[in-house]
Amino acid sequence: MRAFRRSRHQFVAVFNPDEAGTLSILASQVIALLEDRGSHDSDPALLRLLPDAYSDDAEASAEFRRFTADDLASRKAANGRRIVADLATAAGSTSATAVKVDAQAAEAWVRSLTDIRLTIAARLGIEADDDLGSEDPAMRDLYDWLGFVQGSLVDCMDR
Amino acid sequence: MSDVLEQTERIESTMLDSPWVTIVWNDPVNLMNYVSWVFRSYFGFSRAEANVRMLQVHHDGRAVVATGSREEMERHVEAMHDFGLWATLARAGE
Repeated sequence: MRAFRRSRHQFVAVFNPDEAGTLSILASQVIALLEDRGSHDSDPALLRLLPDAYSDDAEASAEFRRFTADDLASRKAANGRRIVADLATAAGSTSATAVKVDAQAAEAWVRSLTDIRLTIAARLGIEADDDLGSEDPAMRDLYDWLGFVQGSLVDCMDR
Repeated sequence: MSDVLEQTERIESTMLDSPWVTIVWNDPVNLMNYVSWVFRSYFGFSRAEANVRMLQVHHDGRAVVATGSREEMERHVEAMHDFGLWATLARAGE
């Protein structure tokens, strides 16, 4: 992996095939979670992806969700599909491959990377700043790596 | 007489239409540079303003990022959820 760097009007990172494949699978899993979602109460990840809009009014939150959740979920799924599409070549390659993301795609990437990290954090039980999610070190490493990927892309966009 | 009634109704509706706020809450997942970038790109804050609000979220656990009508705040909250930020709306002063 080489972190995202700005190259004229694009952002470029280098992914190994397994890295690209892993990120692509994670994005697909979040898409499936959003598209096949059942009750919100049953899944902490869904509850974080489509959170309550009112902290102390369950009825107003339910009403808000009724009007916004379908559209929010499809926009989030579309962002995930952008990542899957942009990584297809790198994931199918036999060597490290440059992945180029334009400014518009980068908007989808950083949103979807957030959704993926929120989902993993919910699975790892990371709820406070000092939670380590250390029961699953491999998943924690993956979570930190995703933070590194996203952070490098935000740094490029933020200039 | 009807003028007075009309005026009273107008004053009452203004008072009932008390402002709402959009609150962004701290979470352990969102990166500081990302939150700051969201505040700049969506609300149009300056870099300094965005960083102040981001640090307020981080240190105080929450920050008010917008004030206005309930409908407007619902739009902001939906936009924050698009970005994956944890945001709610509430009546100002609550």
